[in-house]
Amino acid sequence: MTQAIQILIIGLTLGGVFALMASGLTLIFGVMGIVNLAHAAFMVAAAFISFFAYKGLGLDPIASIVLTMPVMFVVGLVVYRLFFARSIDDPKKRSVLVLVTFAMALVIEGTLGFFFSNIYRSTNPPYAYDAFLMGPFYLPKGQFYATLMSALILGALWAMLRFTRLGYAIRATTHNRTAAEVVGVNVDRVSMFVFGIGMALAGASGSMISFLFSFYPGKHWEWVAILLSLVVLGGMGSLLGALIGALSLSVISAFVNSAYGPTWSPVTFYLALFAILLIRPQGLLGKKPEL
Amino acid sequence: MPHLVVKDVVAGYGSGPDILTGLSLDVEEGKSYCIVGPNGAGKSTLLKAICGLVNIRNGTIDFEGETLLGLRADQVLQRGICFVPQDRSLFPDMTVRENLRMGGYILKDRNEVERRIDEVFEMFPILKERASQHAKTMSGGQQQQLLLGRALVLRPKVVMLDEPSLGLAPKVSKQIFDSMNQLKDAGITIIVVEQNARMGLGYCDWGCVLDLGKLVFEGASRTVLDDPRMAELYLGTRRTGSEK
Ligand SMILES: Nc1ncnc2c1ncn2[C@@H]1O[C@H](COP(=O)(O)OP(=O)(O)OP(=O)(O)O)[C@@H](O)[C@H]1O
Ligand SMILES: [Mg+2]
Repeated sequence: MTQAIQILIIGLTLGGVFALMASGLTLIFGVMGIVNLAHAAFMVAAAFISFFAYKGLGLDPIASIVLTMPVMFVVGLVVYRLFFARSIDDPKKRSVLVLVTFAMALVIEGTLGFFFSNIYRSTNPPYAYDAFLMGPFYLPKGQFYATLMSALILGALWAMLRFTRLGYAIRATTHNRTAAEVVGVNVDRVSMFVFGIGMALAGASGSMISFLFSFYPGKHWEWVAILLSLVVLGGMGSLLGALIGALSLSVISAFVNSAYGPTWSPVTFYLALFAILLIRPQGLLGKKPEL
Repeated sequence: MPHLVVKDVVAGYGSGPDILTGLSLDVEEGKSYCIVGPNGAGKSTLLKAICGLVNIRNGTIDFEGETLLGLRADQVLQRGICFVPQDRSLFPDMTVRENLRMGGYILKDRNEVERRIDEVFEMFPILKERASQHAKTMSGGQQQQLLLGRALVLRPKVVMLDEPSLGLAPKVSKQIFDSMNQLKDAGITIIVVEQNARMGLGYCDWGCVLDLGKLVFEGASRTVLDDPRMAELYLGTRRTGSEK
């Protein structure tokens, strides 16, 4: 029992970070209808920013979101303008956009690999190796802080979607693009901002994974596969779904990890992806998001 | 004096063929127009062209003496032209009130929007009753009222409706058309596309018959209904409609 609770703690605190990673992916899908296969590659790029800010400037990796989020936001706006703006409304061009994101992932991976080589890196702030001890339980400090920060960011995102004019516009565009246009939402601008926000979320995720995991340029394939399984489980485009998917799969994978060893824990996600696509392809919360 | 003037408009989607092929139409203030014609004639495309959702390849569209060409959908809304599309374009997972708020999206003053929502509630009491219900859980007729209400939040000068009676029981369709006439009495210009020509023309002042992207003929509703060309178009003595 004690052990089960311990595994639950580990699973939930990792789940919070997975939810942050998945949020940008699902947000972009909701508004643009595109699976951004480069999402995790952008995360890794941001992890490199955090890494060098830590090594060079001594900037704490959690605090480095003040760098990664705005930088990735601007990158997002530029990428949207260059690659998506003209194709998004054309059904014929639209279908190749997923391939464009695939190509972007390759280019990012290749560029990072060229400059920084494919070796494992990790920022190592002191809390990454420390834990809170509470009776029989321990809570790794790094995971705890990362999940706390993820919760803060996701909370801010939720409030933005719920209460601001831009938030209304984003939700409206997600629900029904035509209807949004008809009431005067500039859906092109909304898509651009959403891409920027999604990239900023990838940036924040990158800062978190820089000390939670060790990373190298090619690592993003593994993460994007995990993120897809979370997002598909929750229902593509649903933020709440991504949160539920992240927490549940991460807990399950923590149990698998403890029972069968770490090699098997990523497999949990892939098996889940298969199972969901077979049983309930629209995910827990359907295709259209509810939040 | 016409306040909306569509002249020789050619328009189509993306790089596809011309759907409107030189369409001209004068719309006078405060009157109601019923647009009829076979499937694929370009009726919906005409409405979308007016409100900036389809690219105009040739011709002009003027409203109150100023061109609408090159304006985005939100800029056309600013001028006072609202559009209620064919496909029940609600926000299904937003509440009725949130849907109405979206109707006032282009207005900056939030309090003003809430005041106008109260006006809409006066016209459609059912919406007030259901204010916090999700739009997707409303009946077809209620959804259509919500769509109308959403357009009214902007206090438009022109309201364009695309097949508002689609999928509604005759009694409910009548209610929608009655509400529409209420708007006309308040001085709003109405342009409505209607499959059921008899009913649509019965409620409107003026009838416009479209086929193959052109205005074939127009006239006072009664004369249009009795025109032999109507039977020809609808009963299909020749193939109608462009490629589907
Ligand atoms: N989004 C679109 N992209 C490409 N072609 C379109 C699009 N919408 C309509 N069309 C084409 O334009 C033509 C006219 O369509 P439109 O919807 O204007 O006809 P309509 O008169 O409203 O017909 P209906 O009575 O069936 O609603 C059709 O051939 C249709 O295939
Ligand atoms: Mg139509």
